[in-house]
Amino acid sequence: MKKLLAVFLAMVMLLGVVPALAEIDTSEHVKIVYLVTGDKPTNRTDEVLARINELLTEKVNAELEFRWIEWTDWQTQYNLALATQSGDIDLIGTATDWLDAWPNCQKGAFLPLSEEMLQTYAPQTWASVSEAHWNLCKYNGEIYLMPEDNYAQWTNHGFMYRQDWAREAGLENGVHSWADLAVYFQYIKDNKPDVIPWDANGNGSSYSPQMAGGWQTSHTGNIAIEGFPVAIFYGESKDNPYTLSRYYLEGDELVNFAKEMKKWADAGYWRADVLNYTGDVVAEMEEGKTGAHQHHTQTWTGERTTMERKQPGSDLGFFWFGEETGNLIALNITHGAMAVAAQSKHPERALMVYDLMRNDPEIYRLMQYGFEGEMYTVEDGKFSRPEGFEDSVDGVSFNFWWGRNDNLEYKNAQLDWDAIDAMYATYDQVKIDYPYGQYIYDNSMVGVLMDNLSNVYNTYMPRIVFGMNDDPEALVAEFRAALQSAGIEMVMEEIQNQLNAVYAK
Amino acid sequence: MQKSIVNPRKPARRSAWRTLVQYRTLIFMCLPAIIFFFIFSYMPMPGAYIAFTNFQYNKGIFASPFVGLKNFQFLFISGQLGLLLRNTVLYNIAFIVLGNVVQLAFAILLNEVTNKIYKKSAQSIMFLPYFISDVLVSLLVYNLLNFDFGFVSHIVRSLGGEMPKVYQNAGAWPFIIVLVNLWKSTGYGTVVYFAAITGMDSSMMEAAQIDGANAWQRIKYITLPTLKPTVIILFLFAIGGILKGNFGLFYNLVGNNAMLFNTTDIIETYVYRSMMNSFNFSQSSAVGLFQSVVGFFIVLGANAFVKHLDPDYALF
Repeated sequence: MKKLLAVFLAMVMLLGVVPALAEIDTSEHVKIVYLVTGDKPTNRTDEVLARINELLTEKVNAELEFRWIEWTDWQTQYNLALATQSGDIDLIGTATDWLDAWPNCQKGAFLPLSEEMLQTYAPQTWASVSEAHWNLCKYNGEIYLMPEDNYAQWTNHGFMYRQDWAREAGLENGVHSWADLAVYFQYIKDNKPDVIPWDANGNGSSYSPQMAGGWQTSHTGNIAIEGFPVAIFYGESKDNPYTLSRYYLEGDELVNFAKEMKKWADAGYWRADVLNYTGDVVAEMEEGKTGAHQHHTQTWTGERTTMERKQPGSDLGFFWFGEETGNLIALNITHGAMAVAAQSKHPERALMVYDLMRNDPEIYRLMQYGFEGEMYTVEDGKFSRPEGFEDSVDGVSFNFWWGRNDNLEYKNAQLDWDAIDAMYATYDQVKIDYPYGQYIYDNSMVGVLMDNLSNVYNTYMPRIVFGMNDDPEALVAEFRAALQSAGIEMVMEEIQNQLNAVYAK
Repeated sequence: MQKSIVNPRKPARRSAWRTLVQYRTLIFMCLPAIIFFFIFSYMPMPGAYIAFTNFQYNKGIFASPFVGLKNFQFLFISGQLGLLLRNTVLYNIAFIVLGNVVQLAFAILLNEVTNKIYKKSAQSIMFLPYFISDVLVSLLVYNLLNFDFGFVSHIVRSLGGEMPKVYQNAGAWPFIIVLVNLWKSTGYGTVVYFAAITGMDSSMMEAAQIDGANAWQRIKYITLPTLKPTVIILFLFAIGGILKGNFGLFYNLVGNNAMLFNTTDIIETYVYRSMMNSFNFSQSSAVGLFQSVVGFFIVLGANAFVKHLDPDYALF
């Protein structure tokens, strides 16, 4: 009897979905505004958008409009747009690691998405994301994010460097450690008078966590936990991930880092005024004026091809942080995700539009590649651009990093897939899954202390990272004392308790 | 009975109305300013309530949970408040004192210049920096002073000198910032004082000239005393903002260069850096409210002090 009842109930639930689908009222034509990071494109995006809007109108009687958050001051502008929303945005591209998805969620920026809503208005997305993955998108039991969980990419940071120069420097196999990197930089310093070994935009606040975390990843088994305003909270190791590391409070490794960077600064591997420099360092590398660029694997895959065109023979390589110790974490599925704005006036239609952007082959490929035949051709599942194609003029930029779908993707035939696949194979041998997917930091208990820590970090870390000091050992000691007086122990205790609450056996 | 109640009120009411009617043209001329301050200063005031809440985007300012003075803790437990207050207040004193002295001097000098073309062009050229945005100013300063490729560095090196690393030397920045601020604000302030000088009764000057007073005596005994009220009013206006820093100037010149914070960090830049990460409107508003309330009492105090010395010069 019970079984029968269960079957009956299941059938009712299934039936409940089907009529709902038929009943969606799309008689009113609506405009769905899509908030996205990136500079307003000057290429053929508008033309492609017009075509996509024809399709969207036909299918769900809606059209899409961009709201760009330009790269200048993007962190502030993005958070501001979310904070001041008044029904003017519907879909929000977000991320838990680089776009503060959880803090914004806690502040009420996103609409909770019920399972019924997703089943009804985004059925293809609902079906394609596994239950385990949906669970990683929940806060207080409700789903807020639709994750980009079917797209292979790596965004682990490291240094891009020129293998032609590395070979000249005697590094036959390239750069595979911080020590190799020092050899490489010194060679450039000694032999290429017009080249700055590594020209960095030290004015940006992202260098500190990337460099300090990079050294840490390369020299310890520590694993970064995402979602904190300050990047000093790491798990101990992959065998003991749920105990917080005390790397920033004690031990020699941070001192070693400070000493090494001081050496690099004194040797002139970057400009003396690095902390105020704001130039376009990628362009400089492409012009052969600097020998390295610090960013992530995904950037390297594209930059390798660009560099080969602009600096033939440069054979751009990538030294990834953690390479020495094999300390590598696979990308969290919420590195890109789409959310619906809390104040959206048309959340249902926004979901329907997203479902098509993510799953409709025609719309998806228009967004990603443009008009087939004219803007690209496909051969063996790989796409190529026509001769003389310039992305900034002839391309299309939807910056759709919130639901890319490998089922519909074409590989770029112009990329060097031998090199990329080899790199990915190396990664696959050592990677582990991100261990903290279930954990969302709650700022309400120690938020004030966290702001203090943030300030201490931003005061000391740039000086450690770029060797701007007379005595690195003393500076690290000073930094650690400042962390203590800013309340680091209380914050760590709170975080440890929060971690225990989620991961206690 | 009726008379005794109604009568004392009537004249008062009538006189207020009469004042309005009598000065209607003046009040009408003030209207843009009154509307401006109403819209931009008075209307947002209830929003200061955000400083006492844990602000939630989807609930709005007034429905967000009330947390009392919790947001005010941030500045006080940071341990930085002393340094920040010192920097903010000292910079402002330098700006106010040096600024006014230089502006006054330039206005008087301009007044002594008789060549009209020179006078006008000097005025315009001095005014120009006021319109240059702080972003551009910071680029100019960087390109002058940076160690590797700066203009000044090149000159110093070509003369065989040793260029100091300005962007690593916190001690140099109070001078640079004050200098840049003077460069930017002198033209503007000069015009204000110059206008006050032009508005002086010329018969006094003529009388002094006939009596044989030289230029220096005329400045000392006529120009400066006549400018006294203007100086005091501008001073009173300026002092209310003594806890507020010019964020644009400081942030653009210094940016995130932690080497320089010791001498350049003011309340605004500190709050900005701390709040950039957590994007906490409530805490930043709490700091703003604190600055405004303290500024308000400083103005009241300064005004009372001026009134005590000479009631004619007080603002109210």
